[in-house]
Amino acid sequence: MSISQIKKSLTARIVQEKIYNLLTQGKRLDGRSPTDIRPINIITGLVEKADGSALVSMGGTKILVGIKTEVGSPYSDRPREGSFTVNAELLPLASISFEPGPPDERGVELARVVDRSIRESKCIDLEKLCLIEGEKAYILFIDIYVLDYDGNYYDPSTISVLAALATARIPRHEVVNGKVLKTGEYFNLQLQSLPFTVTFGIIKEKFLVDPQIEEELALDVSLIIGVDEKDNIVSIQKNSPGLIPESLLEQMIETASEKSKFIRQKFCEALNIRK
Amino acid sequence: MPLYFSEREIVLPGQLLSDDSKRSGEGTYVLGSKVYASTVGFATVKNDRVCVIPFKGSYNPQPGDKVIGIVIDVKPNGFEVSLGRHLTATIRMPDKKEVQALNLKVGEVVYAFVKESGLRGVFLETGEKIKKITSGLLVSLHPSKIPRLIGRRGSMINMIKKETGCDMLVGRNGFIVIKGPSPTNEFAAVSAIKLIEKEAHSQGLTERVENLIRSILVGGAGNE
Amino acid sequence: MSSEKLKLVSEEGIRIDGRRLEELRPLKIEIGVLDKSDGSAYVELGKTKIFAAVFGPREVHPKHLALPDRAILNCRYHMTSFSVDERKPLGMTRREIELSKVIREALESVVFLEEFPRTSIDVYVEVIQADGGTRTAGLTAASLALAEAGIPMADLVAAVAVGKVEGHLVLDLCDIEDKYGEADMPIAMAPRLNSIVLLQLNGRLTKEEFRKALELAKKGIMEIYQKQRDALRKKYSEASLMEV
Repeated sequence: MSISQIKKSLTARIVQEKIYNLLTQGKRLDGRSPTDIRPINIITGLVEKADGSALVSMGGTKILVGIKTEVGSPYSDRPREGSFTVNAELLPLASISFEPGPPDERGVELARVVDRSIRESKCIDLEKLCLIEGEKAYILFIDIYVLDYDGNYYDPSTISVLAALATARIPRHEVVNGKVLKTGEYFNLQLQSLPFTVTFGIIKEKFLVDPQIEEELALDVSLIIGVDEKDNIVSIQKNSPGLIPESLLEQMIETASEKSKFIRQKFCEALNIRK
Repeated sequence: MPLYFSEREIVLPGQLLSDDSKRSGEGTYVLGSKVYASTVGFATVKNDRVCVIPFKGSYNPQPGDKVIGIVIDVKPNGFEVSLGRHLTATIRMPDKKEVQALNLKVGEVVYAFVKESGLRGVFLETGEKIKKITSGLLVSLHPSKIPRLIGRRGSMINMIKKETGCDMLVGRNGFIVIKGPSPTNEFAAVSAIKLIEKEAHSQGLTERVENLIRSILVGGAGNE
Repeated sequence: MSSEKLKLVSEEGIRIDGRRLEELRPLKIEIGVLDKSDGSAYVELGKTKIFAAVFGPREVHPKHLALPDRAILNCRYHMTSFSVDERKPLGMTRREIELSKVIREALESVVFLEEFPRTSIDVYVEVIQADGGTRTAGLTAASLALAEAGIPMADLVAAVAVGKVEGHLVLDLCDIEDKYGEADMPIAMAPRLNSIVLLQLNGRLTKEEFRKALELAKKGIMEIYQKQRDALRKKYSEASLMEV
């Protein structure tokens, strides 16, 4: 059940007013409190052909991530490291507001923000991805697909990427007579960090966490904050037009830290990880 | 007429329903001398015709229907109103003064009546019959589930209104406006609608909706 | 698995994945798996895994593309980058473009487009894992998604691929059989109408082989058709006898 509008300007004003009024009373359309996150569900290993995969839902939003490994040359300025690249597609089947075609700016932004969270937190030990120093290294292709969009694809995308990485089995390669061959063995990626993003929606002087689609269409502005397990801020992105009251920043950083811990706990429980 | 289904049997597209090609109704098609189902739904005989009542059908506006819409365009000679999904209706007002007097802006919500609906489009009644809705909770339900929300002779919607204490305006096109004495009451009404959407075709729904509303109101917090 | 010559069919007529020649892979169907579309389905045929979703009828954008007397049916067949052995780069390949067309034409053959003038019906087939038979499994899923969306059709579409592997005619080729076999023939039918809505051949068959392959395909299609119908009935099986 939703207000299915293509453009933000088509949202009924009374809906925007209602969402704000509810927020002033600490309530939301679906009964959550302003800082409640929707139920998270994680399924890993659905795609056996991928080296790692995860399907994560946060409420009605569903994200599928798959990882494929290739062997290539390391960057010349980092001869002892492998590398990874993150791509994202907002699939047209996920929402009436996603059109088929080349990745639009929203897809590119999603990929780059998730990339930064993973990179800055040193989540993946890139030296472990080195095969032959200066010559061969593993390259991880992390591809994000939004399958069903009910608001906030950022946070479940981060969770899905981390779940795929955490459960990935990378095929080990070796170089024999100049040829790169699979050995038939696999290795795991020992993740060094688990940085989760928390998305905030702001209306006037109030904020909410993990906006659902109706809320997203009514927001003044939104902000994403990524926090790792050491409480470092590893990424920030203001991803919409609009004014963020500076006075809210402190509170949002604190909330991001708290919520990131909450998601981390759910994540580790779901994947049986002790951290 | 020989029938190949039992009353209210669930039928699927392509399923043979009868040999009487002259008596085919909605949700069916004729091939040769036989009638087949064209959608998933209940097969039944209505007005002496074999019909399939689809579980999910598109809304086809009929003159006299009450609808709720969102204004999406303002023109010199009227307004365009979204009725949800692929439907856009027009309020035609050749008199500029009338347009200014009605003073509708993009994003505003109106409650109106369908005047005509055909090849040229959907038109809404003008004048007294248009009401601006200035506050309330706007939700949408798939139009094919609206009859279930209303219920036999209004039984379901009246029960929801009574139990939640909310005023509810229901548009045949699937938009609903709820106004209640508190957010929790409104949340109870929204939850009732969500449940109907999910389980429109199941038995004992009225009782389950009633229980859901009561459990929310007792809980008070409006959570889950 | 690096044998010199890979034997795809044993002397006893058992295929590389343990199936008999005329045996389908296990088929799993879930209807209504995605919330935002008007109708959706998820199909697993062996290791091939596919989502299909339908939006519509809805407004055509841009408006000038609308047809005055019927709906436009759009179809996009797309594979995720990790659905195949070698990562597929983002963007539409020529194969995806061709398959989008033949799937669209198959569905157009059965959908009653004249009931929705000036609108579009958009069908999306998303392959998340490809192990052979993706266009036919995709069609099977798309047909269910259309049914769930309440789009009126003459019949459901059921589809399967038949082919020739090491001289044997087989039903429902998996990826390795498709790669190393002599022929691959995807077929889709509207079974009640006894009509073919998709037919392609990649490879070579004698006329006799073609006839036999067609018979084999029909058997497979009827099995799949029955499973589609069972899945739809199951989804709505709690239907009430209320006056709607």
